[in-house]
Amino acid sequence: MVHLVIDGKGFQAEEGQNVLEVALENGIEIPHLCYHEQLSPYGGCRLCLVEITRGARTFLSTSCTYPCLEGLVVRTDTPDVLRARRLVLELLMPLAPEAPRLQALARQMGVTETRFASDEEVDDCIRCGLCIRACAELVGAEAITFSGRGERRKVEPPFGEEALNCIGCGACVFLCPTGCLHMEDQDGVRTLDKWKRTLSLKACASCGRRYLPFAQIEFARQKGEDPPAEGWFEFCPDCR
Amino acid sequence: MNDAGLYAVKSLPKKEYLAPGHRSCPGCGEVLAVRLVHKALGRNTITASATGCMEIVSSPFPLTSWEIPWIHVAFENAAAVAGGIEAALKVLQRKGKIAPKEINVVAMAGDGGTADIGLQALSGALERGHDFLYVCYDNEAYMNTGVQRSSATPFGAHTTTSPAGTAVPGQITWKKNMPEIVAAHKIPYVATATPSYPLDLINKIEKGAAAEGPAYVHILSVCPTGWGIGSAETIKIGRLAVQTGFFPLYEVEDGAYKITVDCAELLPLERYLQPQGRFRHLSEELIAQLRRRVFEQWAELKRRAALSASAAR
Repeated sequence: MVHLVIDGKGFQAEEGQNVLEVALENGIEIPHLCYHEQLSPYGGCRLCLVEITRGARTFLSTSCTYPCLEGLVVRTDTPDVLRARRLVLELLMPLAPEAPRLQALARQMGVTETRFASDEEVDDCIRCGLCIRACAELVGAEAITFSGRGERRKVEPPFGEEALNCIGCGACVFLCPTGCLHMEDQDGVRTLDKWKRTLSLKACASCGRRYLPFAQIEFARQKGEDPPAEGWFEFCPDCR
Repeated sequence: MNDAGLYAVKSLPKKEYLAPGHRSCPGCGEVLAVRLVHKALGRNTITASATGCMEIVSSPFPLTSWEIPWIHVAFENAAAVAGGIEAALKVLQRKGKIAPKEINVVAMAGDGGTADIGLQALSGALERGHDFLYVCYDNEAYMNTGVQRSSATPFGAHTTTSPAGTAVPGQITWKKNMPEIVAAHKIPYVATATPSYPLDLINKIEKGAAAEGPAYVHILSVCPTGWGIGSAETIKIGRLAVQTGFFPLYEVEDGAYKITVDCAELLPLERYLQPQGRFRHLSEELIAQLRRRVFEQWAELKRRAALSASAAR
């Protein structure tokens, strides 16, 4: 157990917890887009900046990547923090101008316009890497990754070709904070446009509806998790 | 994003805001919906709850299942109270009395508290444009007092106040179309959902909470006790309601219709009606009437969705 102070209130935290986790558990709201409780913290969106005082030093850091240490003093609402967060949001907004969650954050933080513009075609991706981590850690498929550096960084399947490891589970689509990923089922084929992936769907033995990609069934079998009953995947969830 | 498959559901937050041990019936679809809704909304939420099943089962004195601020108000004014909470938060934040953070204000009520008793309060709150989310848990009758009909009870359903017999074949009026009534207020977000499609439901709640201004989500909550089905059938019946077109899942975003769980071909309506005790007495003729209505409603929805899609292009 370590003791730390957030916004003037003392809290106890487990060793290994990060500052954001403890703040959220105790009802102190820190805006964040790329943090997920089940995934390793990454500090990609930079919105969870807080002011940390450790010993004699005071500095800004992302709270999702900062571990709870004994005697840490954290402030989440100083003018410096709020200004830095507004700047981060202004930098994110041109990347995904239509995203509802970004717009909600902007309203809440009082950001009405951004001083920046994107030179390239907007693809609504803010490069937070949540999809990559979900794919690697939650699912274990490791189908997508970052490529390029600096301003040319983007999320891609390996070599920008079809993501052959993608099993079409949709975890990335579900978690994406800007909604820039799309998954569609049509005529027995599931398409994930951004990963250039098309997957053939297995038909239910009873109703004939094509419901789950073959690749996902194979993946689940190989992983040996949730051992299904005999013939489990033969039928769709409605016919089981 | 309706049936993603095996892995997307694993990403849902582990934290529960509705503690177990509440007194709902086994197989209750409504409590499942409440649980998912609050999972999606997270910790910074204040809920105003009208009288109804959920108030009864979650807060028998001196216990409570709620791990967020929750207030029980009278049957008719959940929307008014939520509007008041939202206005108070706005003022307190403006005066600097509380930190400017996003707090979701939610009103919840059953179909009785929405379509019958709470309709004027809801309409008023929508018209004033409070930034709140109204969730209607529709189990299609007054279940907690013993299955009395409401205006959201579907045609032909047997309830204790619309008993099926020789004089009347159950409910003789058509179900009030609440989502359409709300959509007519031209609010930013209206949607229908059911816990049988959990990811779809969570998506819609998140969208509704993020919308600027009022949002309304109408959730079909299957009720094994009142509908006369086995408690293990809840999810299945909810899915059949969608797949037969009886309760289509769609959303209206700034006036644009979108069917979120599309069915290439509707399943035969009998598959939804037959397992339910409340529809068991229906004659072939009445089923045909119901089927006609369902087809009309589905065709109308398709037409509007197609119109909205072509307008967006």
